[in-house]
Amino acid sequence: MESVGTSEGVPTDDDEAIARSLAGDLSAYEALVTRYSALAHRTAAMLGAGDEAEDVVQEAFVKAYRHLATFRRDSPFRPWLLRIVANETHNLTRSRGRRAELTVRLTGLTPQGTDGAGDPEHVAVAVDRRTRLLDAVRTLPERERHAVVCRYFLQLSEAETAQVLDLPVGTVKSRTSRGLARLREEADRDLT
Amino acid sequence: MTSPDELESRLLALGESVEVACPAPADVARAVRARLEALPAGSGHLPPDLPQDAPGAPHPHRSWSLLPAPWRLRGARRTPPGSRVRRRVAVAVTAALVALFFGATPVGRTAVVEILRFAGVELRIGNPGPLPSGTPHPLPREGRSSLEEARQRVAFPIAVPAELGEPDEVRVSDGGRVVSLLWPGVRLDQYDGALQVVFRKELGPPWPEEVNVDGFPGSWIPAHHSLSYRPRGGGPPVAARIAGPTLIWQRGQVGLRLEGVTDPTRAVEIARSVR
Repeated sequence: MESVGTSEGVPTDDDEAIARSLAGDLSAYEALVTRYSALAHRTAAMLGAGDEAEDVVQEAFVKAYRHLATFRRDSPFRPWLLRIVANETHNLTRSRGRRAELTVRLTGLTPQGTDGAGDPEHVAVAVDRRTRLLDAVRTLPERERHAVVCRYFLQLSEAETAQVLDLPVGTVKSRTSRGLARLREEADRDLT
Repeated sequence: MTSPDELESRLLALGESVEVACPAPADVARAVRARLEALPAGSGHLPPDLPQDAPGAPHPHRSWSLLPAPWRLRGARRTPPGSRVRRRVAVAVTAALVALFFGATPVGRTAVVEILRFAGVELRIGNPGPLPSGTPHPLPREGRSSLEEARQRVAFPIAVPAELGEPDEVRVSDGGRVVSLLWPGVRLDQYDGALQVVFRKELGPPWPEEVNVDGFPGSWIPAHHSLSYRPRGGGPPVAARIAGPTLIWQRGQVGLRLEGVTDPTRAVEIARSVR
């Protein structure tokens, strides 16, 4: 990416913000945090941080800043940051025990949108379908769930998912397709 | 049968309809910045060649990950190599035991050994409990300003330490009661009203030390501590945030607190250079 920003004010792209952060400019880093805050929270919450997503995200941004010198400037910042978020989340959930993690996750995710336009019955059916699909995602084995969440809920590419979850691309592909196969079974059961 | 494409598009739609609670990004940025500013000086960016600290690598054998998150998060703020991790675990465990001990005695819960009021700061010294976490709130009606503008808006003379030069940022809060000057990693708050309590600090050991700033008495607070703001004219205090080592002192009727310089000698040197 080419830097088109000036040396003052809000940095215009990631590379400029990173360069200025590396030089100790905390305002530039604040801009970077602001840019990725929502995505980082989404990632932490969806990978199981539950109520502690906020702590996890802050910690991840502090760590990212401290390790910014290890970031390869010719690669994209987003998956590098999300890998730190995923790793912090992983450390947290493991310290909590997996059972606890799943309980926390269950309360965090509720579908808000609706498919039907205005018709209350359509709305109810659509919400019910989504709730059941979400439940099915929740009950996937963790490895498959993380791959599905990264690919579809966070809309990351296979390569980005591989980087974020620290897996080979082939493993991401196989876990995703196994997860999808399980979900398809659930969905087909719903229709019968 | 559900087609692969249909299932994938249903998942994408589901992902978009799932809402995740997220604090305001600007608040998160401010909180992260405050935490970075609270880091000891010289601990900014780590050198690139620290394989055991690679942020993406899982830390399967780090025992501190078994500690409850608030301790763990604090202990993990700097990601030191093995021996220091062990020392930190020891410190955290000791702190947890101390907390348990104090928590177990009825008086222990609010065990404030001493309250000192000095230069507009109330120091509650004793067993402070866990340090605050989460997003720090800005001071009431905090706004950015220029130094010139700030000088016109506040009733007291604003001091600038020659050692640090012109501040990168100037903020005026609570109707001109507090002026904050910011440099990378360093914050100097100056406030009107050494007679009232402007800030409250709750701290445990290591205890504050008395220092002399050009003949004015000062106090050096070496430990991370909880800092909260008492608004002018009463009202609820601004939620506490974590503060790093701080020097507090007074010039005339103006109280000053310098945060972010970890070496007391250097802090006093900066304090002496205010003009």
